[in-house]
Amino acid sequence: MTLLQADDVAVFDASGRALVHPVSLRLDAGAPLVVLGETGSGKSLLAQALMGTLPPELWARGRVRIAEAEHDAAQPQGFRRLWGRAVAVLPQEPWLSLDPLMRARAQVAEAHALVRGLAPVAARRAAAADLAALGLGDEAGRRYPHELSGGMAQRVAFAAARAGGARIVVADEPTKGLDAARRDEVARLLTRALETGGGLLAITHDLALAQLLGGRLIVMREGAVVESGPLAEIFAAPQADYTQKLLDADPARWPRRARRAAGPSVVEGRRLTVSRGGRALVEGLDLTLRAGEIVGVSGPSGCGKSSLGDALLGLHAPACGAVRRIEGVARTAFQKLYQDPVSAFPRRRALGATLADVARRFGRRRAEVEALLARLDLAPALLARRPEQVSGGELQRLALLRVMLAEPRFLFADEPTSRLDPITQRGVIDLIATLAEEGCSVLLVSHDAALLDRTADWRMALGGHGTAEAAGRAAPAVALGAAG
Amino acid sequence: MPLLSRALQALAVALLVGVSTFAMMRALPGDAAWRIAAGRYGYDNVDAAAAASVRAELGLDGPALPALLQWLGDLFRLDFGVSLVSGQPVAAELAHQLGASLQLALAAVALSLLIGPPLGVAAGLRPGGALDRALLVAATAFRATPQFLLALVLIVLVSVELGWLPAAGHGAARHVILPSLALALGLAATSARIARDATTEIAATAFWRFAEFKGLSRGQVLWRHGLRNVAVPLLTLLGLQFVTLVEGVVVVETIFGWPGIGHALVHAIFARDVPVVQGAALMLGLGFVAVNAAIDIALRRIDPRGAA
Repeated sequence: MTLLQADDVAVFDASGRALVHPVSLRLDAGAPLVVLGETGSGKSLLAQALMGTLPPELWARGRVRIAEAEHDAAQPQGFRRLWGRAVAVLPQEPWLSLDPLMRARAQVAEAHALVRGLAPVAARRAAAADLAALGLGDEAGRRYPHELSGGMAQRVAFAAARAGGARIVVADEPTKGLDAARRDEVARLLTRALETGGGLLAITHDLALAQLLGGRLIVMREGAVVESGPLAEIFAAPQADYTQKLLDADPARWPRRARRAAGPSVVEGRRLTVSRGGRALVEGLDLTLRAGEIVGVSGPSGCGKSSLGDALLGLHAPACGAVRRIEGVARTAFQKLYQDPVSAFPRRRALGATLADVARRFGRRRAEVEALLARLDLAPALLARRPEQVSGGELQRLALLRVMLAEPRFLFADEPTSRLDPITQRGVIDLIATLAEEGCSVLLVSHDAALLDRTADWRMALGGHGTAEAAGRAAPAVALGAAG
Repeated sequence: MPLLSRALQALAVALLVGVSTFAMMRALPGDAAWRIAAGRYGYDNVDAAAAASVRAELGLDGPALPALLQWLGDLFRLDFGVSLVSGQPVAAELAHQLGASLQLALAAVALSLLIGPPLGVAAGLRPGGALDRALLVAATAFRATPQFLLALVLIVLVSVELGWLPAAGHGAARHVILPSLALALGLAATSARIARDATTEIAATAFWRFAEFKGLSRGQVLWRHGLRNVAVPLLTLLGLQFVTLVEGVVVVETIFGWPGIGHALVHAIFARDVPVVQGAALMLGLGFVAVNAAIDIALRRIDPRGAA
């Protein structure tokens, strides 16, 4: 049964430029539809046009058939009564999407009461049943959002979005910034939407999520469909060159980085114990980071990956043990690359002004900045813009440029690509690897095991209970920390 | 714990108010005995003999420190003493005046809440709209106008020109309208701006959007998710507005002849009636602590995030 049919849906900006060229698609009950593409491919705009949620400065054209009724994409206000009743829109950031002042169960129950029209008691009971089906008991239902874990908030938001009785679930980048375990959990959650004859439209750049969901696939690039068909077939044998490039950007398909002889020690930690909020996250760790070496760090959220890196940089005082940095080197040669580049730049300043300050601080000439721009494949025109006016990938490369102005001897890259799409991710990681080849020591944090496996000289898994385990291709220069 | 810290705060306020009013009253120019005698017998009947008898009776020549210690000691026994002018116990006078002031203050707060936040929320839902721009001008104007001027303008317009309401008096409901309006307009100007900014901020949040995606109508989203979140900064503001309110009560009561604590405070200062000044200032100080404690508790109930 067809739940949603879109015919020639296109999206334009105020000047009439097409951001999404006419796309037709069909969503069937019980079968997921995955729209895959890099940032800026127009996949999110397409989904927003289908739901009538485009920002007011954009407009759409085309016909959308939902729940046996035809809607004109040019009139977004007509879609409003579908929300919650026919289409459940899953939020990207579930934590921020729940009212901070309302208990979890009440946020689900209100949709049962106000949208489906159940009596208050029945609505509460229905909400409790929804949450129980997702493994959330009465106790969790009484919590406020700030007392929920990220995974719990995701499940509450899922229940709340569907409580109005919607059969179609639309999820736009539901796994942004999540680690592998959380991603799998989200995939399982999304497939639940299909169980009772529902439909699922997932918009993502996450190849692993797409593979977990299966069904039909649409690959988009620059506002146009590149390829579409059964997902398994396309993943096995892509027809379009772009699809091939997209799939190759999956870290699992990357070639292994050639190992080189590591140089002298740059940063050392001895019997290092790092704690946050009085809780020991890493205990008694010995490690040596050498010039030209990439060390990968993985582990679940909150296990102390960032705290360890900050301790090695000297940004966070270790609870116990010592950090020794190579002597005769300026403190500014120890640099950090942040997960969210937008928050790592002054919001209201042009990027060029920020970089000029940094260049002046390190006595670098304008020509050197321009040479680095060219090397990082960045257009000089970007410097006139503010952080939110460039793409995430461009901004992260600019952040890398800023780090390079300081001539780093050690770089702590804290999940630098978790918010980037695969092709952009590969570009940034390649640049970091080049930095290492030039003699920089790199500590690379990622939740992507395949990425670390292909990139790092040796890896370290933090367990979240004050333990660390080393794994690697070469003999690791690490003595394992004492457990517990 | 929060109650204990508030109790300590109240104690500190009592000490500070007691000592500083005492010091200020002593530092005022002029002969206190003459002023007190004038308060008692009327300005026409004061002579050196009356002033001397007052001075002897009240021990005004004595050193300051014993007088201060005695007053503090009395205070801890909850004995506010006797008015130097009327001879009545201060506690009884204050209780009577406090009632009148509370009546005025509550009416003013209620009126300001009826005017300010609804306008602010409506403006915040359409930032940049006609209402929003008009409200910005009006709120700035009312906030910038001193209360005595606003009170006088209201008297001239409503009482003198239009003759709708009495310019002064106490007892009937119509007497409370003008003084409370004079207080409320200034308060409403601030609360409207706060409500407006909070509303625009909340209407732009992900949870507001998500509530719409759940299928709730605009009104339902505002009612269930908007107002509760807007209430948090508004309540905090209400605690701060108590200061404005006290200051306004003193001015407005004097202008409208309202028999409240502010009115009494002003007269007591002129008459150098130290026990009444100290008692009134103490009441206002403790009132500030009590109001803020109550608001703390209310905020904790609405917003559980700070409790951790």
